[in-house]
Amino acid sequence: MKPLQPTLYELADDGHSLNFFFAQCSACGGLSFPANAPGCMHCGEPLSQATRITRPGGGELLEFVTLHVPLLPGMAAPSIAGDIRIAPGIVEEGVMAVADESALKHGMAVRAVAEVKPEEGVYACRFVPVNEGAAQ
Amino acid sequence: MSHTQQSNSGNWLDANGGVFIAGIGLHPYQFPTETPYTELGLTAVRAALADSGLAWDRVQSAHVGTTSIGMAAGRVMLRHLGSTGLAVTQVENASASGSFAFRQACMEVATGMSNVVLAVGVDKHGDGRRAANKDGLERLSETATIPAAKFAMMARTYLRERGASVEEMANAAVKNHGNAARNPFAQFRKPRTLEQVLASPRVVGDLTVQQCCPRGEGAAAVMVVSGNAIRHLGLDARRCVRVKASVAGSERPEMQYGDSAVELVRTSAQAAFDQAGIAPKELDLLELHDAFSVEELLYSEAIGVCEPGEGARYLARGDSQIGGRCAINASGGLIGMGHPLGPTGIGQLAEITRQLRGEADGRQHPNARWGMAHMIGLGSVSVAHVLSASA
Ligand SMILES: [Zn+2]
Repeated sequence: MKPLQPTLYELADDGHSLNFFFAQCSACGGLSFPANAPGCMHCGEPLSQATRITRPGGGELLEFVTLHVPLLPGMAAPSIAGDIRIAPGIVEEGVMAVADESALKHGMAVRAVAEVKPEEGVYACRFVPVNEGAAQ
Repeated sequence: MSHTQQSNSGNWLDANGGVFIAGIGLHPYQFPTETPYTELGLTAVRAALADSGLAWDRVQSAHVGTTSIGMAAGRVMLRHLGSTGLAVTQVENASASGSFAFRQACMEVATGMSNVVLAVGVDKHGDGRRAANKDGLERLSETATIPAAKFAMMARTYLRERGASVEEMANAAVKNHGNAARNPFAQFRKPRTLEQVLASPRVVGDLTVQQCCPRGEGAAAVMVVSGNAIRHLGLDARRCVRVKASVAGSERPEMQYGDSAVELVRTSAQAAFDQAGIAPKELDLLELHDAFSVEELLYSEAIGVCEPGEGARYLARGDSQIGGRCAINASGGLIGMGHPLGPTGIGQLAEITRQLRGEADGRQHPNARWGMAHMIGLGSVSVAHVLSASA
């Protein structure tokens, strides 16, 4: 089973959670995501000397919203997208793997887990509330 | 000092006798058809020439704003007016393509390089291919580059922080559909009630389809001339509208979650007011990027026609209606008039010109002296222009 986006994450030791890859800038120490970005998002240094950092994927759920119709070809709908602060100064949009919005609260902690797509032989990144995610 | 701010050495737009819009022309915005873009664009350009009283061979340069037609659209279209040898430049800046074509025309006239310049926006509904999908970087969610999702999240945050309701937000679309119904160039020509807007199919979050701009096609053109040319060419100075500010910028890192787009609008508008020498509350007309209803509330606060947090109440009081304190999106805005991308920003300038001349039959805002056209584009970039009625 391979990651759908190999530059962004890998399966953690528990076989379900995801670890995210960051680049730590040699000039300012800030983290950038994705790790293969061609410049530090904080100071603009080329990240050629950066240290690659692996961290458990997750963060604070800042906002979320239901996409009622497929806005891209082949997209599942309805689905829930959320803005997640995955590191200081880094907000990324992610797919929330919950049945509906009632499971979510803005400001809650979420973590990244693998959603296996067996027919494609890959796993994708989904976010779940920290507490519920542990139960899955 | 920001590059978007002006130095104290005066307004660069006052050079060459000043920069003016002498003529406007449009092809109605419409749902996608088989009509070639050349026909859309030539309709707008011929109308702008006729409106200004300028002959085609007076035009020294053309800036063509477009996103989806393809390479080298300008001369393929303009040669049908006569191959005069004029300079032709294509400008692409997403939703703001037309606005930036106009800004290029203003800069060219202000330097004295040219005295008569065409700015035209023309577009067909394209495949939406974006450079953001070619940057070689993966994203956690394929939805990350969908504007509707981003603005639906901004709407959630806005409504929660302001204690405003979905109905108050949807009323922006009600107003703009109403204005569009009175604009013969608008894509939507039907007034909509609040009940209809709320009952239309949901797209993302609290945004229903009638709170989102349509995709489509169309064209808009303006003739940009120097004050010196108005005299030399004997144009009707009373129908010329003066450009008093032109400001561009792009997004900075956010200070708090979700504020980078709003800060971009705030700083570019403020710099434009500084350049024009007016306060935000002096504006009579404001055309802004209401691709989604929430944007009108956010940006009316950011631009400063109302106080921070007052956007929904400003709308509810009728202050942003035609005849109110500052008519916002008298054209119908992106939601009502439409958003064919390349033409949109020039369509805003055409609407303000029409209003400042007192020629907006059926939707005229009374005693209009000052107008702002504010546009943002993917990426994000911003551009603001301030126009004033002739003295
Ligand atoms: Zn750095």
